[in-house]
Amino acid sequence: LELGINFDHIWQKTLTVLHPLKVADGSIMNETDLAGPMVFCLAFGATLLLAGKIQFGYVYGISAIGCLGMFCLLNLMSMTGVSFGCVASVLGYCLLPMILLSSFAVIFSLQGMVGIILTAGIIGWCSFSASKIFISALAMEGQQLLVAYPCALLYGVFALISIF
Amino acid sequence: MPASKRRIPVSQPGMADPHQLFDDTSSAQSRGYGAQRAPGGLGYPAPSASPQAAFLADPVSNMAMAYGSSLAAQGKELVDKNIDRFIPVTKLKYYFAVDTMYVGKKLGLLFFPYLHQDWEVQYQQDTPVAPRFDINAPDLYIPAMAFITYVLVAGLALGTQDRFSPDLLGLQASSALAWLTLEVLAILLSLYLVTVNTDLTTLDLVAFLGYKYVGMIGGVLMGLLFGKIGYYLVLGWCCVSIFVFMIRTLRLKILAEAAAEGVPVRGARNQLRMYLTMAVAAAQPLLMYWLTFHLVR
Repeated sequence: LELGINFDHIWQKTLTVLHPLKVADGSIMNETDLAGPMVFCLAFGATLLLAGKIQFGYVYGISAIGCLGMFCLLNLMSMTGVSFGCVASVLGYCLLPMILLSSFAVIFSLQGMVGIILTAGIIGWCSFSASKIFISALAMEGQQLLVAYPCALLYGVFALISIF
Repeated sequence: MPASKRRIPVSQPGMADPHQLFDDTSSAQSRGYGAQRAPGGLGYPAPSASPQAAFLADPVSNMAMAYGSSLAAQGKELVDKNIDRFIPVTKLKYYFAVDTMYVGKKLGLLFFPYLHQDWEVQYQQDTPVAPRFDINAPDLYIPAMAFITYVLVAGLALGTQDRFSPDLLGLQASSALAWLTLEVLAILLSLYLVTVNTDLTTLDLVAFLGYKYVGMIGGVLMGLLFGKIGYYLVLGWCCVSIFVFMIRTLRLKILAEAAAEGVPVRGARNQLRMYLTMAVAAAQPLLMYWLTFHLVR
């Protein structure tokens, strides 16, 4: 039964996120699929539940507002436009390192110095890969840090939810 | 009529929509929704046990799917056409045509405007040059990011004082937005009353008023790290810098040509304009203090 889920593409995109220093191929975002991001969001919520934080509503709300904000910003900043599905898909894929952080938070508390450094590193990793994919897919030059900053804000809010 | 509707979903995946770089496979999802919603709407008695293949082969459900997806496409076109009426998208795009170098230099200018000599915006055949190419041009990226960062930092500050709850974030955001709107309206009103002919558009004004959030963020962060002393030091520095920045920038926009070149021109009109510029510039530090002092204890 063809559900329209292409496992090979999902795996490719996941690998792109996991290797932040490798240059991304601009054509991988040609089909927006929300299956992978859905899985990652649910996994993130599950790890939050394990840590005892029942704040699902805030996660949904923040991700919706964040996606909308990124969508508006990218449409205004790039020459070509971008569809909402594409933005949601990329942001969802780059949530993968955040899942690592929240599963870490289940066992150890993140409020010490080590926790802060780890959190900062993970946020940097997420935003860097997200901005890398956006830049290569939308052919924006000289704007990677500018795209990475709002992504870092969004993932920072997720990290705040994981910590507090 | 049904034939033309049926052609739409077939050509959609292959056709390059000028607004999109990607083939949006979400249309496949809307096609699926159309198939599920429309039969119910048409009163088609679809038993839940009927197999998928027979369902799709039925011409009525085919037409229903086509109708559903064409509705989605029409809705999208409608939004695209009308959004330009409410939000001037191309004008907004001008303010976001920035790159990293510009943002870096502009931030430096906001904290240290004392050495910069030439504040004139360069023009290119009657239209101002994009912010990418001219550091004096106003942009909306920095104010927008600064605003959002300010709301988050305020939430963080309240969190460290154990006064945090996520609804407080919303409260902070709406109150800061309300103050900004009030400021913009007040200045527009005074500009109208003074009957000044400037090329200071509303978006320009929003951009200039948004720059103070950068200083506010700096102050609050220093306050979080180093307590009240750090807060007052950094806030004081940022207040003076923003004051100088605003005076030098607004002078070129509000005052008449002659006065902008430093020649003091007599006449009540120009004096009024000078007072207006000073008032706007002086309001910035006041608001900066007002909006942040309750965050640093």
